Amino acid sequence: MLSSFQFNRLLVGSVLCLSASLAGAQSFRVQCPTSTVTHPVAANNNSEPVYAGPTYTGTNGYGTTPANVNGAIKCQQISGGDGYAAMGDGTQTYLFSFGPLSGITDIALGKPGTQFPSVFNVRFPVTTSNFLSPGDPATTIGAATTPLTPTQLGTLASYNYNGAVGLDYNIANIVSIYDISESGSTVTVVTNVPLDLNLKVGDKVTISGVAPPAGDVPLGYQGTFTVTAVNVPNAFFPANFAFRYTAAATGLATVNMSSTAAAAIPKLLDGHVDPRQIMDVGVMNGNIPAPLMAIDEDDEFFLTLTNVGMIMRPDLFEQHTVHFHGYPNASAFYDGVPDASVAINIAASFTYYYLAPDAGTYFWHCHITPPEHLQMGMVGQLFVRPRQNRVTAGANLYTARATQDTDLRTACVSAHDILCSNPLPAVNSGATHTAGATYAYNDGDGTTRYDVEYPMQIHGFDPNFHFVGMTFNPEGFADMKDKYFLLNGRSYPDTVSAGPLQTQSADGVNHFSQPLPAIVTIPHGGRALLRISDLDVSEYQTLASLGIPMQVIGYNAKLLRDEAGNNMYYTTNSITLGGGESLDVILDACAVRGPAPTYSCTTPMAAGTYYLYTPNLDHLSNDAENFGGLMTEVHVN
Amino acid sequence: MFATTIKKAPSMKRLLPVSLAALAVLASATAQAAAPGIAGNTINLTAQPAYISQPDGNSVYSWGYGCTTPPATTAFVPTMANVTPFCNTMQVPGPTLVVTEGQTVTVTLTNALPTAAGNTSILFPGFTLTSTCAAANQGLLTCEAAPGGTVTYTFVASTPGTRAYYSGTQGDLQVEMGLYGAIIVLPNAAPTNGSCPAHNTAAGVNTAGTALVAGGEDDFRLSATGAAYHLTQSCYDREYLFQFSEIDPNIHIQALAQVSAKAGCTAGAAGCSLNVPTEPYHPVYFMINGRSMPDDMDTNYAAQYQHQPYNGNPHMHPGELTLLRIIGQGRWQHPFHEHGNHVRILARDGNLIASALTGTGASQLAGPLLFTTTTTPGQAMDGIFYWTGKGLNWDAYGHNPASSAASNMPVHDACVPDANGYYTSNPLAINYFEWCQDHNKPMQAAPFGDVAGGGPTTLPEATLFTNGAWFGGSPYLGPDATVRATGPTGTTPPSGTIANSPTGEAGFAFMWHSHNEREITTNNIFPGGMLMMMLVDSREFVIDESQ
Repeated sequence: MLSSFQFNRLLVGSVLCLSASLAGAQSFRVQCPTSTVTHPVAANNNSEPVYAGPTYTGTNGYGTTPANVNGAIKCQQISGGDGYAAMGDGTQTYLFSFGPLSGITDIALGKPGTQFPSVFNVRFPVTTSNFLSPGDPATTIGAATTPLTPTQLGTLASYNYNGAVGLDYNIANIVSIYDISESGSTVTVVTNVPLDLNLKVGDKVTISGVAPPAGDVPLGYQGTFTVTAVNVPNAFFPANFAFRYTAAATGLATVNMSSTAAAAIPKLLDGHVDPRQIMDVGVMNGNIPAPLMAIDEDDEFFLTLTNVGMIMRPDLFEQHTVHFHGYPNASAFYDGVPDASVAINIAASFTYYYLAPDAGTYFWHCHITPPEHLQMGMVGQLFVRPRQNRVTAGANLYTARATQDTDLRTACVSAHDILCSNPLPAVNSGATHTAGATYAYNDGDGTTRYDVEYPMQIHGFDPNFHFVGMTFNPEGFADMKDKYFLLNGRSYPDTVSAGPLQTQSADGVNHFSQPLPAIVTIPHGGRALLRISDLDVSEYQTLASLGIPMQVIGYNAKLLRDEAGNNMYYTTNSITLGGGESLDVILDACAVRGPAPTYSCTTPMAAGTYYLYTPNLDHLSNDAENFGGLMTEVHVN
Repeated sequence: MFATTIKKAPSMKRLLPVSLAALAVLASATAQAAAPGIAGNTINLTAQPAYISQPDGNSVYSWGYGCTTPPATTAFVPTMANVTPFCNTMQVPGPTLVVTEGQTVTVTLTNALPTAAGNTSILFPGFTLTSTCAAANQGLLTCEAAPGGTVTYTFVASTPGTRAYYSGTQGDLQVEMGLYGAIIVLPNAAPTNGSCPAHNTAAGVNTAGTALVAGGEDDFRLSATGAAYHLTQSCYDREYLFQFSEIDPNIHIQALAQVSAKAGCTAGAAGCSLNVPTEPYHPVYFMINGRSMPDDMDTNYAAQYQHQPYNGNPHMHPGELTLLRIIGQGRWQHPFHEHGNHVRILARDGNLIASALTGTGASQLAGPLLFTTTTTPGQAMDGIFYWTGKGLNWDAYGHNPASSAASNMPVHDACVPDANGYYTSNPLAINYFEWCQDHNKPMQAAPFGDVAGGGPTTLPEATLFTNGAWFGGSPYLGPDATVRATGPTGTTPPSGTIANSPTGEAGFAFMWHSHNEREITTNNIFPGGMLMMMLVDSREFVIDESQ
């Protein structure tokens, strides 16, 4: 038996170890450039421009000036770790899970956490009285009830911080100058160590020193300048010790071995993060489903995964990854399969990069030991909105769709590409774009237009597996048997609770654990797009609609259309999906709808409550409770 | 005659799944696949018991179809120069029968199962039998061979495509025990709406720009016309056959116990039959082509799998149209997820899914595009997959406009796009089928090795991530790009990438697997089960399906 003295010593020792590793070995970082090769003008990247035409025409690509810059830059940060969720019968269930580390207000409000650079690259205004607390934003708004009180919901909306958690200024980088000389107005600076290994043309550098007569650095050299050249070969040091800028004054004398000359890069928000905030917010903060992501075609998407470790499983030194499930022509490197690529270790961040693929309903999940990490909850939703949303108001959709074929990247011509899913419609429906109208796909005929959209993820939890997953025992895979059947991480009746659900984690703090309700509300005579995905890891599940027919318009993130341009949509009252599948369903609250081009509703459906439920009747349960499970309400106004 | 117990694995093996997998991978690092089978319209099959092996060390008592006598060497298709094909008297799945449309096919089945197993038979769904059946052999569904007896099935291979064949006698037990296989019917004429392009045999380019392999890369397609059906939309460059099935070992243990207890009984006598419960069903082995991962990535006809000759180990070059022939042979459905791209479904059970285009009369494909191809018991589907990297928005070949001309590298042509935006004018170039819009477009912010910087992303330093066994060593495709991207001024290629060497293959690896994720385990050990790695290989790398 340990004496208390020995115990204290052990405790002190382990605490020291912990702090040492946090201080010395963390490598968290976020990436969200304000401009790139593809989106060169920073000021244009914080909103979606109108799709006025193809990015590139003809066959030439990079290197020629784009005809139109389409899309913008989107960024998101997520944590990989663990947490808890509340099941429909009140059980607190342990998760391996992702949590939001950007867009934390939007996520809690059930919206995507994907942000433009102008929102993402904003640091939380930390003061002595204003800081991020463990469990935020649930902690700050005092979330304790489900659903949240109107006051709490109001506080949540006004919390309104959606930047990258942890983002903070880096330290100003100052190095002493060995030699500074001028030729014409071009100044060459050779520093004693490289100013910045990532120094690039266009960066701002401040040159300072003591001017004559007291010192030896002429005023003409001093000030803040734009770097015009890097990696300059010089007589003194390696090339990356030198850079150039253009001075206003000419004829300045060379200064060698000045005792005061210094070059500095001012402090910047450049992806450097404060790990304290990351850990405060990210630890034990898992969500089910994982943070929602939404991007638009032509966007560049920077997704930073920050591995905060699994506090309840200190025996596991697990990496996590993000697999963008269903991405066409995916990159093996960014595919998130640890066997086929790299996986980020605990206390570090990895940024996934993709140009948004073809519009559709995708989803994402961790790919480390999938039977375990998926069952334990590392599953989320992701969709890509079509270019057609952004065409000029009044434009003919068929013509706009044909325009996309003039850029080979966005072209879809069946004769040339067997994997093209949305060729031009067989007939021009004459449909035109209304400002603000949204579509599921680049259909060219307006048939996938919807008024409201709802991501809807089907999943299942095996409580035995989750219990074993919290212990240190080996898990059985073949015996996996789900007992909780989840829509957006909730089982009925939680599916129809408004606002986020919260669960107290092992840190004693409430966290928003299930931010996404599963209530569908359709405006009078309107159309709701259900983006349904299934990440169950053990069996197929069926979702049926009582009353409102389900029109299936897309399957596996592709429009249902044959190569001849005929829509192959079908109407049904139930859909069946296995894990790893998605489809798009339109619930039309219109009993009789007119023809193209307007498809206007002539006879709206009666207002009322309808249901989505599973005819897998044993899935209408929450473990031992025989009522609940995979079921939710559709409210038609 | 039969061993009385199932051989148990040493328990230590169960504790070391990762090293097991790693060992198997080492042995199979360059194994490739194709859709091997036996050609000819007359074949003699026998149904026999034998043991099939699982990567956890178990040998599972099974029944399978095999060849009564070894076929002639020339009957094995496609030609595989570097392995010795075999067809033993029992294999799981049964021999893949490769026939041509319009041929009359004659299959003679001999029942060499244990007497107590009773009759057996074969169903050929999708074909109409023209053979007659003696009254004594007529079973419920088809003609059955009594223990020791023989029956003959004759049918016309009426239409092209992939189909399953399996036992039509006590199917809940006999199919579970392994009595299933595939039949591939090849079209008897070129497509009606054109012809398929010639197979590009160039690969393995050296610095002089010539192919390393004399005669180039072999063509492993079964179809002489290069098409799976009578449409040019079914033209393909490579093909693979995947048969999905499960094993509940309790059923096999029961079958073996009863067969052993009743050894020597007289066929048809009272009590000379099996009563093996097949419910509740509790499978723990999930197999592709009769093998669980990592065994499925070993070579076709590997000597250690005498009764499981077929593998599941697809490879392809960028832009190659790859025909997937997928069959559900077990009892369950499996959501088979192909990483990397979608699959265009051409046909179900040999029936092309197409619609007529108004005006011209030519057919247009109407099958769905799927990233998860659900296998359904007894159902076969054909689909086309390809990968090009189009739209990545960075140069997957790691080109550096400043240095590519100067360095002593294989032929990297400037990317001159064709009408679809790909570089296809020089089949000898490494970047054949490169997506030209991204040519020279940087990915990383900082220059790395020989690859220029200026791109959007910054990769963390190499000590912060863990490398996978199939990681090619860099974000870029092929050994040339990987070596240039990691040296001399970058880091050296990482260690631990044992299955996809940075200097040898360095392909892009994609996992193809059941997305009922618990099925990518072998008897509760992860990784295993219905899982394989698909490799997209740079054209430097010679894909030899016979290895």
